[in-house]
Amino acid sequence: MGDLINIFIKSAFIENLALAYFLGMCSYLAVSKSVKTAFGLGLAVIFVLGITMPINWVINSYLLSDTGIFGTDLTFLRFILFIAVIASMVQLVEMVIEKSSPALYNSLGIFLPLITVNCAILGGSLFMVAKEYNFAESVAFGLGGGFGWFLAIIGIAAIREKIRYSAVPPGLRGLGMAFILTGLMGMAFMSLMGIDPAAF
Amino acid sequence: MHSTNYIIRFVLVMTAIVAVILSLMSTGLKPIHDKNEAVYNKTAILSAIASHLGKDLKTLSDEEIGAIFSEKVTQKVLNMDGKVIDEATMMEMGYKDGLAESVDMGKEMKKPEEDRVLPLFIYESDKGNEFYILNVRGKGLWDEIWGCVALEDDMNTIAGVAFDHKAETPGLGAEIKDSQAFKEQFVGKKIYRPDGEYKSIYVRKGGAKDPVHEVDGISGATITADGVTEMMQRGIAYYEPYFDKINK
Amino acid sequence: MSEVKVAEKKSALFGKNEKKLLIDPLNDNNPITVQVLGICSALAVTTLMNKALVMSIAVIFVLAASNVLTSLLRNSIPKQVRMIVQLVIIATLVTVVELALKALDYNTFKELSVFIGLIITNCIIMGRLEAFAMANSPWRAFLDGIGNGLGYGIILLLVAFIRELFGKGTVFGFGIIGPDAGYLINTSESWLFGWYANNNLMVLFPSAMFVIGVLIWIHRGIVNKSLVDVS
Repeated sequence: MGDLINIFIKSAFIENLALAYFLGMCSYLAVSKSVKTAFGLGLAVIFVLGITMPINWVINSYLLSDTGIFGTDLTFLRFILFIAVIASMVQLVEMVIEKSSPALYNSLGIFLPLITVNCAILGGSLFMVAKEYNFAESVAFGLGGGFGWFLAIIGIAAIREKIRYSAVPPGLRGLGMAFILTGLMGMAFMSLMGIDPAAF
Repeated sequence: MHSTNYIIRFVLVMTAIVAVILSLMSTGLKPIHDKNEAVYNKTAILSAIASHLGKDLKTLSDEEIGAIFSEKVTQKVLNMDGKVIDEATMMEMGYKDGLAESVDMGKEMKKPEEDRVLPLFIYESDKGNEFYILNVRGKGLWDEIWGCVALEDDMNTIAGVAFDHKAETPGLGAEIKDSQAFKEQFVGKKIYRPDGEYKSIYVRKGGAKDPVHEVDGISGATITADGVTEMMQRGIAYYEPYFDKINK
Repeated sequence: MSEVKVAEKKSALFGKNEKKLLIDPLNDNNPITVQVLGICSALAVTTLMNKALVMSIAVIFVLAASNVLTSLLRNSIPKQVRMIVQLVIIATLVTVVELALKALDYNTFKELSVFIGLIITNCIIMGRLEAFAMANSPWRAFLDGIGNGLGYGIILLLVAFIRELFGKGTVFGFGIIGPDAGYLINTSESWLFGWYANNNLMVLFPSAMFVIGVLIWIHRGIVNKSLVDVS
C-alpha cells in the first residue's frame, strides 16, 4: 500500500505529466482561459486516465506480451490498441457528461473529443509500459498523473484569469505569456524533485 | 448515410490490412532490430574501456564492434557464489544462450538476490592487459540507472566506467551519462583499501575528500549521485566471491 | 482538346492556392506559434538538434501520408467511426516510423523513447485530418501536410538550436563554444568569451517553454503584428 501512495504522490507532484513532461499541452493551453472550464477538463482527464491505464495494462500484459495468451510478441500493435481504447473511453465520457451535465458539456465544447489526442493520456499509458508497473501500480499512476494534470491546469487557469488585468506587452499577450507562465510553474515544480516520496 | 453493415465491413477490412502490413514489417525487420540491439549493448560495454581500445569507439562500424567482441572479449556468467555457470546450465535456466551479453540485468535485479546471475566481460587489449568489465544496476531519482565498470587485472583499480539511465533529468541526473568529466574522475580510483577492506567508490556532494575512493558529485543531482554510490557499493560487491576465487 | 486539359491540370497542380498551402503554415498559420498544436513533442525532444531533426522528419512523413490516405478514403469513411479510423491510420503510420527508425538509427530510437509514440497524439496531425484532409483532394492534402510539417519542423529546429547551443555549446553535436579543445570558440583561451559557461537551465524542460514563449513574442510583436492577441 505504501508503494501505491508513493507512486500516486510521485506521479501527481514530482513527475507531473503537465509540468515535468509537458504532456497534454494543446488542451492545457487552449482550455485554461477560465478556471471553470479548466476544472471540468481536469476532472475528465483524471477520469479517462484512471480508466484507460488499467485497461491498457491488461491489454499490454495479456494480449501483447510474449507471455500473454497469444504467446508471441505483438508489441507492434501497442500504439493502435492503446489509442483505440482511449478513443472509445473518451466517447463514453462524452456521452456521460452530455447526459448528466449539459452545461459542462456546452462549455467544454470541442475539447472533449480532444482528450483523445491529449498526449497526457497516451503518454501515461506508454510511460506505464516503460516503467513496467503492475496492475495496482498502474491504477495509482493513472489517478496520480490525472490529479497532477488537474492541479496544473487549474493553476495556470487561475493565473491567466488574473493576468488579464496586467499590462503585458502586446506580442506576449495570451499565448506567449501562457508559455512563460507554464515554464515558471515547471521550475517551481522542479523544486519538488528533492522530495523523497518514500517518506510518505 | 452508411449502414451498420457497411461500417462493420469497413472496420474489418481496415483492421485486416493494417494488421497484415504491420506484422509483415515487424517480422521483416526483426533480424535488423535484434542486430542493432546487440550492437547497442556491446557498444555500451566497450565504452567502459573506450580509452584502452586504441580506436575511437564512435567511429567504429557495427561489424568492427562485433569483431572486437568476438576476438578480444571473453564472456562469463557467474552465480552469486562466484562460480562460472556453463552454457548447458544457462540453457536449463531458460536463457537463450550461455553468453554474458544475453543476461538482462534489469530482469536479474527483480529476482531474489541469491538467484541472480552476473555477466562478466574480460577484454584483452593489444598490449596484452586484461580488463574485467562488470555490470552494475541501481536506482536514480526517477527510475533505474545502470553502468559498466572496468577494472584492471589487479581487480582493484578502475580503468573506466560508463553509465546510462532510463529517465534522469537532462542537464542534472542525466549528466552521469553525458558528462565526460564525471566519468573520467573514476579512472584510477580503487575499490579496496590498502589493508584489503572493501570500500568501493563514493560520489561526494560538494567535492571529493578521499582521493582514492571518492569522486565529485553533480550539482543539482544529489539523489542520482547517491544512487550511483549505492549502485557501485552493492554492484561491485556482487563480484567479490569471484575475485576472491581467482586471486587465491 | 486534350492539350487544353493538360494545361489546365498543370496550373491546378501547383497554382497560387497550392503554394499558399505550403507557405501559410510557415508564418501566418504556424502550427506551433499560432495554432498552438503539437506542443508536447516540441518541448521534450528539443534538447538536441539531431533529436529534433529526426522528430521533424517523422512528423512531416506521418502528417503528409495520413493526410493523403484520409483524403483518398474521405468519401468511404463512415461518419460514425471517423475519429477511430483517423487514429488507426495515424497509429499505423507511427508504428511504421518506429519500426523503421529502430532499424535505421537505433541510438536515436533509444533517445526518443516514448516520444515517437506520442506523434499519434500530436494534435497537428489530428487537426489537419479533421480540418483539411476530410474535405480536400489528395494532392492538396499532401501539400497541406508537407507545409504544416515544415512549419512545425522549423520551430522545433529553432528551439533545439537555441537550447543545444546555449545549453551544451554544440550544434548537431559539433562543439561551437566551450572550454574543450577543437571547439570553434575556445572559451578558455579567447579573451572575449572567457566568461562563458554552458547554461544548464537550457537543457531543462522549463527552458523550452521560455524559448517558445519568446519566439511567439518575436513572431507576434515584430515579424507579424497582425497576430497579436486582442482578446
